Amino acid sequence: MNNLDVCHLTIAEAGARLRRRDFSAVELADACLDRIDAIDGKLHSFITLTADLALEQARQAQRELLGGTDRGPLHGIPIALKDLYMTKGIRTTCHSAVLENWLPVHDATTVTKLQEAGTILLGKLGMHEFAFGGPSVDAPFPAVRNPWNTAHIPGGSSSGSGAALAAGLCYGALGSDTGGSIRTPSSHCGIVGIKPTYGRVSRYGVIPLSWSLDHAGPMARSVEDSAIILQAIAGYDAKDNASANVAVPNFLTGLKDGTKGLRVGVPRRNWFDENLGIHRQTEAVFDQTLKVLDSLGAMIVDIDGKPFSLARKANQTILVCEAYAYHEKTMQETPMKFGSSVRRRIIEGAFLSAGDYLTAQRARAVLNEQICANFANVDVFAVPGAARPPEPFEAMDPNEQNMRPSFTNPFNLTGLPAISVPCGFTEGNLPAGIQFIAPAFQEATCLRVAYAYEQATEWHKQRPPL
Amino acid sequence: MAERAGLRLGDDELQRILPGVNRARQQVAELRQLIDRTDEPAGAFNAASMDRS
Repeated sequence: MNNLDVCHLTIAEAGARLRRRDFSAVELADACLDRIDAIDGKLHSFITLTADLALEQARQAQRELLGGTDRGPLHGIPIALKDLYMTKGIRTTCHSAVLENWLPVHDATTVTKLQEAGTILLGKLGMHEFAFGGPSVDAPFPAVRNPWNTAHIPGGSSSGSGAALAAGLCYGALGSDTGGSIRTPSSHCGIVGIKPTYGRVSRYGVIPLSWSLDHAGPMARSVEDSAIILQAIAGYDAKDNASANVAVPNFLTGLKDGTKGLRVGVPRRNWFDENLGIHRQTEAVFDQTLKVLDSLGAMIVDIDGKPFSLARKANQTILVCEAYAYHEKTMQETPMKFGSSVRRRIIEGAFLSAGDYLTAQRARAVLNEQICANFANVDVFAVPGAARPPEPFEAMDPNEQNMRPSFTNPFNLTGLPAISVPCGFTEGNLPAGIQFIAPAFQEATCLRVAYAYEQATEWHKQRPPL
Repeated sequence: MAERAGLRLGDDELQRILPGVNRARQQVAELRQLIDRTDEPAGAFNAASMDRS
């Protein structure tokens, strides 16, 4: 097995081979570091590489595994973190000049949990500045590029997480999602990302964008790997004010239970065609995916998309108000430290009133009720991962983005668990994803449907031509 | 509003921000149509959940 093949193993496969002693944890970390050295100059997915730490952790993992101490499926597995997860003594920048050399004094709860699970930290990943505003041309670090075609965006804001996984630079990553920032790059890069239920995974030590919409979650190359990481990071955390004291099930137990008889609601009506509508290639790929689900015994049910469409308006209003509140002092004192894109988006929040914010929060309660009422008739929702293929950097148009439906925002507003899984390619060999959304705290249902679809197709096995 | 927020924005910066602000206000106007007097905000304060240590 050559280095390229090793780097594209799943966590489950790499873990099995570690335990068979096909290679050591040090060799696994070395393979990733060599590949990062060889190709990340084209992708810019890493902001900070922690090679020495990674090798030290790998040596420790190897000693433990050989000595009979097995911390579970993530033991010895190299991972990387979106650069808004606080890492004690390791630079955490949010891809911004505002925090360019900031060294946190504690770890995020999720980082601590991954360390306890025996993971190897390769480094910190590029993102949209402060998880908002799009790829920045005036940030201190270059914008991350899509491994499938480096002229195209990888999606964001967890852009480095998506690109690094697709390129085989790490085996798992953490992203964060306030309006689609785990699911969009997962869709654009051809990997799997799950935004868990609001409150399922601690946000403590994750730099906020919008407190009431922010979600932390895993990104990986397979559904099973996503379940493995989610298992390690989920659970109540008293340090997170929004953490839910809800029992965490075993996410792997029902993974293979299939979709026979499952009712899949598709809210196409009054949503997919709003303004410019969904891109025709994206819709064609989505429709093919529904046919596969049908062949797997699922029942496709039409539902009204109107409340899903309105959810974006509430999500965006709440987001800019909360983001402005968080950044207000810095924005007053050193506004030019922000890149122009994120600065202008955040400042929009200064022009909205307290009444505007509360109108959005009141509408949120109404829309949440309307959207969740559909679960009386369906088990999951299915929608595209993104409204269009990843566009070229040169053709990026934020106004066009606003004219297409957001298939991700409604599930931040409602806090419902949502997974994006690869479902094909559009013209130019650019990946597309499909999302499955389940009732609150039923991540296991999302994972089960996504796994059944994934195993019936070959999309997740494709590699970018790097 | 920018002054009240303590922001110093040049004309050029203001012109670039205003389309987004106008879109945001239009969105809020649409959201107002959804609610009536009985609707409370999502995430209203709940003393029982304030257990951060």
